[in-house]
Amino acid sequence: MKMYLPPPGTKPSRRGVLKKGLLGGALLALGGGGFLFTRKSVEVDLPGDGLLVLTPREFAILTALSWRMIAKRDGFPGVEELQVARGCDRILSLVDATALAETKQLLMLLENALPNFLFGRRAKTFSTMSTDEQDAVLTEWQTSRITLRRTGFTALRGLVLAAYFQSDKTWAAVGYPGPLPGIHDPNAPVWKGGGVERPVGNGTYHEALVAPVPAPAAVDGGTP
Amino acid sequence: MTQGRIVTGPEITQDLNLECDVCIVGSGSGGAWTAHELAKQGKSVVMLEEGGYHTRREFDMTEPRAFQNLYQELGNRATDDLAMTILQGRSVGGGTTVNWCSSFRTPERILKIWRERHGIETISTQTLSPHWDQIEKRLHIAEWPLEMINANNKVLWDGLGKLGYERGLIRRNVNNCLNLGYCGMGCPVDAKQSMLVTVIPDAVEAGVTLYANTSARVLDWDGRKVTAVRAEVLDVATRKPTGVKVVVKAKVTVVSGGAINSPGLLMRSQLMSEGRVGEKTWFHPVLLMMGLFEHEVNAFRGAPQSVYSHHFVDRGPGKMGYFLEVPPVHPMLASTTATGSGAETMELMTKFNRLNVMLAIHVDGLSPDEEGGTVRLRDGAYNRYSIKYAFTPAHWEAFRSACKEMAKLQFAAGATMVRSLHVNPVTLNSAAEIDKLDDAAWEPMQVRVATAHQMGGCRMGKDPSTSVVDPHLKYHSLDNLFVVDGSVLPTSLGVNPQETIFGIARWAATHIGQAV
Repeated sequence: MKMYLPPPGTKPSRRGVLKKGLLGGALLALGGGGFLFTRKSVEVDLPGDGLLVLTPREFAILTALSWRMIAKRDGFPGVEELQVARGCDRILSLVDATALAETKQLLMLLENALPNFLFGRRAKTFSTMSTDEQDAVLTEWQTSRITLRRTGFTALRGLVLAAYFQSDKTWAAVGYPGPLPGIHDPNAPVWKGGGVERPVGNGTYHEALVAPVPAPAAVDGGTP
Repeated sequence: MTQGRIVTGPEITQDLNLECDVCIVGSGSGGAWTAHELAKQGKSVVMLEEGGYHTRREFDMTEPRAFQNLYQELGNRATDDLAMTILQGRSVGGGTTVNWCSSFRTPERILKIWRERHGIETISTQTLSPHWDQIEKRLHIAEWPLEMINANNKVLWDGLGKLGYERGLIRRNVNNCLNLGYCGMGCPVDAKQSMLVTVIPDAVEAGVTLYANTSARVLDWDGRKVTAVRAEVLDVATRKPTGVKVVVKAKVTVVSGGAINSPGLLMRSQLMSEGRVGEKTWFHPVLLMMGLFEHEVNAFRGAPQSVYSHHFVDRGPGKMGYFLEVPPVHPMLASTTATGSGAETMELMTKFNRLNVMLAIHVDGLSPDEEGGTVRLRDGAYNRYSIKYAFTPAHWEAFRSACKEMAKLQFAAGATMVRSLHVNPVTLNSAAEIDKLDDAAWEPMQVRVATAHQMGGCRMGKDPSTSVVDPHLKYHSLDNLFVVDGSVLPTSLGVNPQETIFGIARWAATHIGQAV
């Protein structure tokens, strides 16, 4: 049997696995259209260096989401200072096309006024809601009996928190000193073989210098 | 002996057609040992690794860089329903570049199950021990001294001692370790004896050529022979194919991509074993508990894993066992792993350096009726799979038991508060409140489950109708295809898997060489 590239698997799935679960497929369909979808999202300033994969509308939704996910606290940098939504855009630019498509669908589901009306009698888009209303929507997603909403909450929460806590500007607030100075060597040799002698280091092996390996340790029964 | 070379994506600017004795796909714990042993036998070996060649020059001990370069899907790999997050390495050295150095030989009781239920007579303590002896010497595997354990591990050690539970010190593969705490981000001083700095360079010195940023996409096969491995070069920055192709024609092919990517490659190649490829995947599902202490724990500092307990590893018939360890805790992973609302997470992060985190790692796959995980291709995805995992009532019983035991240990060690990782976290203020955990929601997506150990999916066995590879790791219906990685394990292990895979790979290299 002769095989050829590309491998089996054709065009990207529009909804992928997120449609699995109670009402998942129908819910994602709600994210994509309907009369109430014509309600506008809030408008926000776009990053000076542009967006890589998000549309301005998706960026606005993530901006609103990051404000609610990253609660304001003394000592912690703000989401604007760390450009969290821009960070999400950069992270999403590196993920698999299917994961990106699913994240975009989730954002539109969160934003669309139709599901927000059906589930919470709020005929507004998420990004234009009051902060109390946004928190209520997120709590509904977090605790929903509908798998898709709980899954969606987990996915979006992880994205926003990663985009925030990836910044070293959060370290002082949480008491994290960061890497110890003087350890990392940005000029360390990179050996690739090809006839070049391998530099001696911790990874090279010298039998004469190796102490005998002790036998596996017996476990301790515990010391009450 | 002519030295080989490590070639990275940007150096491969035009299509390559290569010929060799053995082509090995993957450079982790299985592929590296296989490659080195075969090179020592005088075989010409080409390795293909889809991840990049990242070294200590880049290992700056920061999470964003590490997750972007060293983990599958930027650390976001998960089951389809996100019920279980999957931490898995992706670079030259595979999981060994980012694991936490815990080294255990395969428990005899596991090998006995393999022998009795799966007809595997080839792999035993006796056959693997000479290999483990050599491996432990080469990788400096030794017990971490009690006086060097960090405060996070000391919580576990003290709790176990106070409750009279079995406890032990972990043997680690390190040489001149500075006790920093950044093993999961790539060791900045090459102290970790990962494949990246030990066996792969040894193999290159012995003649192996490794192509990094080169993703094997499909195996061509005809009759009972694999005739070529077809790969694509990936752009270092975008991870997308550059359009440059690499074709390797080898006498023997070894697939060592790990328990998710190896089944993926076989399935893309229409090698399905009647649907068994990708089935019975075991994950050692991990439940976590967070304990708050009055003193600083600073769980980011020091050797991440140095204490373990197998006290609950065998809980009797019908019950799933678990073993206890702790992880390193750095801000980005801690915040995304924690549960609760944004406000709750931010509140928790204000106590970050006083948090202990404990892990209960569940031994799945030992019950004959367990289905475990299933890996399938996902339409339109390049390196993302559809992964499902079947939790059973035995899982949930064990998860609840484990979380209660972890809470007991944390309070015994002095915690002032313990918190579960439920969607609605259960907060305990004393040991007297531990039974509150009985009322928590024990079902998928209601409590955080993670895994850092992937096993199975190409399980070995004597019977071709119930397994994918034979007890010599040869794909049943092809004569020159072997699978050498964690995917061949018929069950999970009950210990951290790297040394099992090292041993099996070094052992397998002998007969793989004879097949050339």
